[in-house]
Amino acid sequence: MIQAIIFYLFAGVMVASAAMVISARNPVHSVLFLILAFFNAAGLFVLMGAEFLAMILVVVYVGAVAVLFLFVVMMLDINFAELRQGFLRYLPIGAMVGLVLLAELVLIAGAWAFSPDVSSTVTVPIPDPGTVTNTHALGRILYTDYIYAFQAAGLVLLVAMVGAIVLALRERAGVRRQNIAAQIARSRAESVQVVKVQPRQGV
Amino acid sequence: MLNLLPAVPEIVLACLAMALLMLGVFRGDAAARTVSWLALLGLGIVAILVLSVSGTRTLVLNDMFVTDAFAAFMKILVLLGSAAGIAMSLDYNQREGIARPEYAVLVLFATIGMMMMVSANDLIALYVGLELQSLSLYVVAAFRRDSLRSTEAGLKYFVLGALSSGMLLYGASLIYGFAGTTKFAVLANIMVENAEAIPLGVIFGIVFLAAGLAFKVSAAPFHMWTPDVYEGAPTPVTAFFSIAPKMAAIALFIRVLVEPFGPLVAEWRQIVIFIAILSMLLGAFAAIWQTNIKRLMAYSSIGHIGYALIGLAAGDETGIRGILIYMAIYLFMNAATFGVILCMRQQGRMVERITDLSGLARTQPMLAAALAIAMFSMAGIPPLAGFFGKLYVFLAAVSAGLYTLAVIGVLTSVVAAFYYLRIVKLMYFDEPVEAFDRPIDRPLAVVLVGSTLFTLLFFAYPGPLVTSAAAAAAALFAG
Amino acid sequence: MSEFLIGYGLPAATIVAQVLLIVVPLLVAVAFLTYAERKVIAAIQLRKGPNVVGPFGLLQPFADGLKLLIKETVIPSGANRVVFLAAPILTFLLSLVAWAVIPFDYGLVLADINVGILYLFAISSLGVYGIIMAGWSSNSKYAFLGALRSAAQMVSYEVSIGFVIITVLLCVGSLNLTDIVMAQKNVWFFIPLFPMFVIFFVSALAETNRSPFDLPEGESELVAGYFVEYSSMSFALFFLGEYSAMILMSAMTSILFLGGWLPPFDIAPFNWIPGPIWFAFKIALCLFVFLWVRATLPRYRYDQLMRLGWKVFLPFSLLWVVVTAGVLMATGWIPRA
Repeated sequence: MIQAIIFYLFAGVMVASAAMVISARNPVHSVLFLILAFFNAAGLFVLMGAEFLAMILVVVYVGAVAVLFLFVVMMLDINFAELRQGFLRYLPIGAMVGLVLLAELVLIAGAWAFSPDVSSTVTVPIPDPGTVTNTHALGRILYTDYIYAFQAAGLVLLVAMVGAIVLALRERAGVRRQNIAAQIARSRAESVQVVKVQPRQGV
Repeated sequence: MLNLLPAVPEIVLACLAMALLMLGVFRGDAAARTVSWLALLGLGIVAILVLSVSGTRTLVLNDMFVTDAFAAFMKILVLLGSAAGIAMSLDYNQREGIARPEYAVLVLFATIGMMMMVSANDLIALYVGLELQSLSLYVVAAFRRDSLRSTEAGLKYFVLGALSSGMLLYGASLIYGFAGTTKFAVLANIMVENAEAIPLGVIFGIVFLAAGLAFKVSAAPFHMWTPDVYEGAPTPVTAFFSIAPKMAAIALFIRVLVEPFGPLVAEWRQIVIFIAILSMLLGAFAAIWQTNIKRLMAYSSIGHIGYALIGLAAGDETGIRGILIYMAIYLFMNAATFGVILCMRQQGRMVERITDLSGLARTQPMLAAALAIAMFSMAGIPPLAGFFGKLYVFLAAVSAGLYTLAVIGVLTSVVAAFYYLRIVKLMYFDEPVEAFDRPIDRPLAVVLVGSTLFTLLFFAYPGPLVTSAAAAAAALFAG
Repeated sequence: MSEFLIGYGLPAATIVAQVLLIVVPLLVAVAFLTYAERKVIAAIQLRKGPNVVGPFGLLQPFADGLKLLIKETVIPSGANRVVFLAAPILTFLLSLVAWAVIPFDYGLVLADINVGILYLFAISSLGVYGIIMAGWSSNSKYAFLGALRSAAQMVSYEVSIGFVIITVLLCVGSLNLTDIVMAQKNVWFFIPLFPMFVIFFVSALAETNRSPFDLPEGESELVAGYFVEYSSMSFALFFLGEYSAMILMSAMTSILFLGGWLPPFDIAPFNWIPGPIWFAFKIALCLFVFLWVRATLPRYRYDQLMRLGWKVFLPFSLLWVVVTAGVLMATGWIPRA
């Protein structure tokens, strides 16, 4: 019973905050609600026994990705009235596309079927949670069966990083940078000079 | 132990790309030319590797990666396209002040992505390959970052590309939801077993998957990005876009529809026919009013994809052979055309209007002849290569009983011939305006001459291409 | 009804009692940490420090707390009220919930979860939200600048902390904190993984916004950074949160590298002392270094801070992960589960 209560708590808060993400007037609030939604999703994962996924969700999405979101959104200067101006004009088209997609989804869900032998073809069977922690289980398939996808995803991230730098990094001329090696390599002989100063003479 | 042998070309290329990236990081922009040449060398080596590891059909890396004659054929085309893309950019980038080592590196990464697409044998492998390719291409499209049009092209490509990836993933998840697997081999078995009771959801999944892929090959009605991106991106990038990624995307399109969903040919044939007809019509009619040569080439490429898809609609071995021949020839014709477009320079400034070609025959007869050959070939006039491409595809359509499709194909070719021949007319019968700058850059000239000669002389010795395409098509249906 | 009470009420009461058993000493520790900070820094600077309220000034922290409690909470007129008030509460809460998984002795832990270290990592990565929210909602440029600095700084140093944790995990083969401590039965990890220990401690300084990485507060340039607009209890909550985050980081350092509750040698005089005492002693030692560093080192410049995080710690810790994994594989010491 406690489990059910907690589930509905997490699920309810998650759905509510997801709704707030798109309806909040202030984009910073939207992002904060998004974070709340992530957090509740992590809670649901824990409830399912997928503690590793839950923690990774918090570390990666809440702890890193959403921070950067928030970072950017806070610094944007958005005129909300202007943003909402075209709303009514685009509403019919948007609503139509949404309705078509909804109708399709209902059609699919209504006529859904699993392939009769799905249990035998399922890609990776779930190991017994009593003997293997889910960190181990995930690690085992990620670095063996899915090593190809894993490495390829690494390449995709590398390209994303290279791309961001290529498009955004600008070398500004005339910036004086700190040269740590030169600073450390300086010896006493070349930087300090002991001068015997006579009274009333100056240096 | 992992058997990595079939994936060696991709691994070598990935290591090379990263090594060149390091070189570029440490040596700075001065290394741009060196990196490009090394990349070309690397592409050559990888091509040899591809030929030496291909042979019988092998599945490795948990059946996610497949090598067969089909993959080898398409990979060679991809490598040729990428090499042409880099070679054509060498002097252009330098002249336009965008010579940076990352260009060649990103093209190499895109090439790895394309090779992974060609060899994909799993929905996940398909997606990561596609993303690797697309992500590199988005960046390359915006490579001239100080130009508004180039960045706009990159952004537009990115947003629409992300949308199409989303559709593709949606389709893939519907299919996975039914079958519980992402592997093509297992999917094919399931489709055979349940051929008469395929739920609506899977059909929807295939539709979404096909829509996503149609977007990547820029087939109508998912072509919206093509003209803008082709126009805005730097010209060598446009040339690269119009050849290499097309090869990979069409290879993926073929493999996905023929291998796992082969048993459902009756279901997806209508989609492919619809896309093909729409692309041919759009390619023929929308191009007529274009004044910018790059935009014209965008519509022309949409039309060509339409013709190629006729072969897929046939859905049999002859059809696939037709596509493969068509795509190979398309690669050379397009390389030749873009080679000429890259020579369109007046007083150090690139020009892009079609009317700038007026009277080219009098100022630069050789260049005019090359473009005329390319245009005649694209229009499908015998005995140039383009004619044979269309011939094989239409033959396949007729033998599969798709008469309407073949007739529409022929009719739209006639319409398309109008604007191809208009360019020839401009060059040969109009008064010259201003002569283009000389000399033509050496690497560009090599690409231009090579591809023009291929287009011109293909009819004399079509054997190797036709037999290897036939072998590739057979490999696809053998498994 | 009685069944319900025994089934749910009793466990709930036990848990509440356990929580209080952790939180109350923690808050007392925070109070005396502020006192210790002033005393230690005073000693280093040849001053006396607080010595008026109570014997040796021992009641000083309570006097300070009382003062903050009875002051008025000022909310700036341009502030975003809800976020402004939520920020300190969040900071304080996060610094408390992390203690749920800290083992004080073998089996003496509130929640012995499998992914304990990841939980700690996740909670400490959430700490940045309190700061960002405070900086943004205050509607003040100093607060905002402080928040931006802090966000960039914490995200940067989290990366190297992550890699340090990975090296430790490689040596342990488990993410459970008790397992991590027990794996140090023979040798504490700060000996074989000494460079990682240093990186972790320095990153912990950055993560808690402590000197010499206290740029988000930077009183000489940002007047107090993200909490410049806070007063009274809302300020006190920030203060408590920050100091208990320090204690938490010290606890993490002890668990990951200093053998948690284990005595240095498992022989007669050492193993008479109970584990929690050892644990507290190690935490106190780490905290002393926190204070020592504050009294000794000048503040980093922002570009130097970023350079250290991204160009020194990140490549080095990445390299060390590879080296550790390689050594473990080559020698066959890798723990197998």
